[in-house]
Amino acid sequence: MKRSLFGRLWPNATAVVLFIGFVFPVYWMFATALKPTGDILSEDPVWIPTNITFEHFRTATDVDHFWTYVTNSLTVTILAVVFSLVIALAGSFALARMRFKGRRGFIIGFMLAQMAPWEVMIIAMYMIVRDASMLNSLVPLTLFYMMMILPFTILTLRGFVAAVPKELEESAMVDGCTRAEAFRRVILPLLAPGLMSTSLFGFITAWNEFALVLVLNKDAEAQTLPLWLSSFQTQFGDDWGATMAASSLFAIPILVLFVFLQRKAVSGLTAGAVKG
Amino acid sequence: MTVQTERPPSGPADVRKADGGGTGRPRTRAAARAGALAPYLLLLPACAATVLLLGWPLLKDILLSFQNLNMGQLIQHVTEWNGVDNYKETLGSEDFWRVTLRSILFTAVNVVLIMLLGTLVGLLLARLGKRMRFTLLFGLVLAWAMPIVAATTVYKWLFAQRFGVVNWVLDKLGWHSMADYSWTSSQMSTFFVVTLLIVWMSIPFVAINLYAATTTISKELYEAASLDGAGAWRSFTTVTMPFLRPFLYATTFLEIIWVFKAFVQVYLINEGGPDRLTEILPVYAYVEGVGNQHYGMGAAIAALTILLLIGLTAYYLRIVLKQEEDEL
Amino acid sequence: MKRKLIAAIGIAGMMVSIAACGGDSDDGKKTGADGYAGETLTVWVMDGSSPDDWQAAVAKEFETKTKAKVKFEVQQWNGIQQKLTTALSEENPPDVFEIGNTQTPAYAKTGGLAELADLKSSVGADWTESINESSVFDGKQYAAPWFVANRVVVYNKKIWADAGIKELPKTRDEFYDALKTVGEKTDAEPIYLPGQNWYHFVGLAIGEGAELVKKDGDKYVSNLGDPKIAAATETYKKFQALSQAPKDKDEATPQQGEVFAKGKTGAFIGMGWETGIAIEANPAIEKDIGYFTIPGPSADKPEGVFLGGSNLAVAAGSKNQDLAKEFLKIALSDQNEGALAKANGVIPNKDALQTNLKGNAAAEAAAPAVAGGGTTPLIPEWAAVENAPNPIKTYLTAVLKGKSPADAAKQVEGEFNKRLAQEQ
Repeated sequence: MKRSLFGRLWPNATAVVLFIGFVFPVYWMFATALKPTGDILSEDPVWIPTNITFEHFRTATDVDHFWTYVTNSLTVTILAVVFSLVIALAGSFALARMRFKGRRGFIIGFMLAQMAPWEVMIIAMYMIVRDASMLNSLVPLTLFYMMMILPFTILTLRGFVAAVPKELEESAMVDGCTRAEAFRRVILPLLAPGLMSTSLFGFITAWNEFALVLVLNKDAEAQTLPLWLSSFQTQFGDDWGATMAASSLFAIPILVLFVFLQRKAVSGLTAGAVKG
Repeated sequence: MTVQTERPPSGPADVRKADGGGTGRPRTRAAARAGALAPYLLLLPACAATVLLLGWPLLKDILLSFQNLNMGQLIQHVTEWNGVDNYKETLGSEDFWRVTLRSILFTAVNVVLIMLLGTLVGLLLARLGKRMRFTLLFGLVLAWAMPIVAATTVYKWLFAQRFGVVNWVLDKLGWHSMADYSWTSSQMSTFFVVTLLIVWMSIPFVAINLYAATTTISKELYEAASLDGAGAWRSFTTVTMPFLRPFLYATTFLEIIWVFKAFVQVYLINEGGPDRLTEILPVYAYVEGVGNQHYGMGAAIAALTILLLIGLTAYYLRIVLKQEEDEL
Repeated sequence: MKRKLIAAIGIAGMMVSIAACGGDSDDGKKTGADGYAGETLTVWVMDGSSPDDWQAAVAKEFETKTKAKVKFEVQQWNGIQQKLTTALSEENPPDVFEIGNTQTPAYAKTGGLAELADLKSSVGADWTESINESSVFDGKQYAAPWFVANRVVVYNKKIWADAGIKELPKTRDEFYDALKTVGEKTDAEPIYLPGQNWYHFVGLAIGEGAELVKKDGDKYVSNLGDPKIAAATETYKKFQALSQAPKDKDEATPQQGEVFAKGKTGAFIGMGWETGIAIEANPAIEKDIGYFTIPGPSADKPEGVFLGGSNLAVAAGSKNQDLAKEFLKIALSDQNEGALAKANGVIPNKDALQTNLKGNAAAEAAAPAVAGGGTTPLIPEWAAVENAPNPIKTYLTAVLKGKSPADAAKQVEGEFNKRLAQEQ
């Protein structure tokens, strides 16, 4: 199909504008973090950091318990994601491949669960955890984070499971595999992209959470990175350099994970999303 | 037919029966019963987790919503039932209804923008050449991956009154009154920043998935359409749209939920200010409940928020119900 | 003043951790002369309210005397009320904690604070009456007064000299004229006064003899419609008109000290320690900083000021009641209290200790106004008013943006009364 010069040009031009629009905030975060304070608070913005400094990163990480926060965040996030994947895998297999009474009920139930506005239930959660004497512990955090991502994980994985051709599973079973074996040897490998993309979503959600940990864990030993980041505004006031350095540090793991898994995640999420 | 764990036309049990059952191990009644139980067993952990970790807090929240629970009661562990007072006061307050209306409008505007722009960007991706597409995808993925707390902080900096780059650009473009403009000083400008942030963060999800979905549409459908004399627009409406419809429904549903619950973005940008004018329901519940230490009231607002969210998504839930029915 | 202490003194110094780790599982059974060994007392202090040296000195003395350990935990002002409320409901609340003077009555009423009658009689006989007032609720002592502080004018000597001003203003009118001169003779902003420096506004209202709330039957309601309040508002508005500061922000966003640090601001109204922020941001500014008492209607009557301050309280749920009182005795001893006043330039809880303020320019400027100072209403209902969004801040912004004080008072009345009426 032939297109006019204009017809060929405008998609590219739009794409460039969009690219800038989407990348700029991320770029500006890193750029600010790397600039000396004089360049940050200048009348005319310094667009490209020339005298790069790591001063702000030092300020941001030179906080007591910084490494405790990092460890806690990683522990809680990874455990929550892994638990929810395992639990969701079982459930989604049942929902996608089996026929049983109440199946629709389960699906609707998980959809409702997905809507839970966690932020407004925090006091209820706090009182439960307090009365169970589990404050200042990573255990309730992990469990609740797992629950926050579980409905989405089940519903999305269900789409992925359904997308795996049944014939493959059947032929494996014809070859003498049990259903469980067929699942492990045939479906699971095909589900890899689905698992990755759903775990990305879960990872982001758990990594970001701060309202709950703020109330549950007053002890710095059991706090996580979002608290460290959100407390910056009060501790550092106008120190945008340090704040942006902290934001950068907080974002880097997710950015890396995303760019790394992007292709698989992308092809994957569709299947899940279509099924809802 | 005792085993019904699959859809009739292709289920392994049926297949085996149809094949004469010579190859598989003989199925016993007990195994069949275990098979019938299997889906429930597989769902058990998920359901247990949901009941324990979501159902319990939810129940607790509902119980709290019937209590007078303030600083004193919380500290002293006193339970003081006050019937439906919290609901009466909430439903009778003008504020609540104003916030509710605002939440619905806020959600509607954001979701429409996200879906519209997201779809356009997704379709654009499909038209781009390989290199350009990869570039734009990279940009989208970066924005998508930004953690909310970090993104919100960055937007505060972009829109900072002094030294914020947005004000500088507007000033240079000739809009000098914006040189020292405080974006958080008015309701609309605060909503503008929040909306921009949410739309910016949400478009990639819609665009990338939509693009991925279009790649699965088979070329033949378009060829058939063009043989029928369909133009670009007709082939879009007759081929692309029907194919994408379920995807669009599902995504809209997710976006409604996510935007409606956008507590972090709204709260961190301006704490619902100025003058509580940008509070949406979750923020309102938080400010009334936790901020003002009026926890029972907060719980009642939370319960009402949940009901409203279910109402907003009821249409989609009904579609799903029907769809599942058809499938079985 | 709570909020302002926030980014207080040392931007970085605050993150001090006083050996914050420690899995102290206190059984809290032991008592007796030196039976405290092995115990750990948890003390919450607010960010910026006590210097590291002071904490170290107190900790050392405490550990020597009781054989127990003390763990200071620095708290941020942001969200502190919620944090404190939940903490007090827990099994292991902080044993001792700093609490804002205006918040004390509300917490006393919840039953979360232990009664300290014996402490008052043993070490508090000569506590300054007006400073102790906030610690007493229903006639009982629920906290120990720690310190108060009030605002002064911080000015840039160089800018004022450039403007040709030789003598510091003694009255409100002279102050206004001086600022006008600065505006005319230099390119500096005469004063940085954001629209929501509401503690300064409270000070002006106190100076007018106005009350923020009044009794209506058995409950409190807004008194913002009072003409005396309107007079205070007009004063605020007059001075604010000289400033380019945002009308809808308080003095902490951005920190006015940081604005001042750029050397283009003639003056601001703030706490003495706020200059620490300025010096941190721009060490060169230090030599240009000067202080004077906020001038009032006449030369012998300084402007009314808000006496913000902190008390120290013991959690009712603490398992270390005796130890906590031992700690208070040490922390509030003449020596330590005096050292705190000296280091931070705050007004100590005993008149006799005010000699420690000698040589501290900011504190010397602050002291004359103390006699005419006051606080927000000391009623439990008040705590809810200060929660964001503070209706008084809303009121100020409304007036500065053109509403008449009466209309603005009417605008926020509903929210204000709702908070005052909030069931406790």
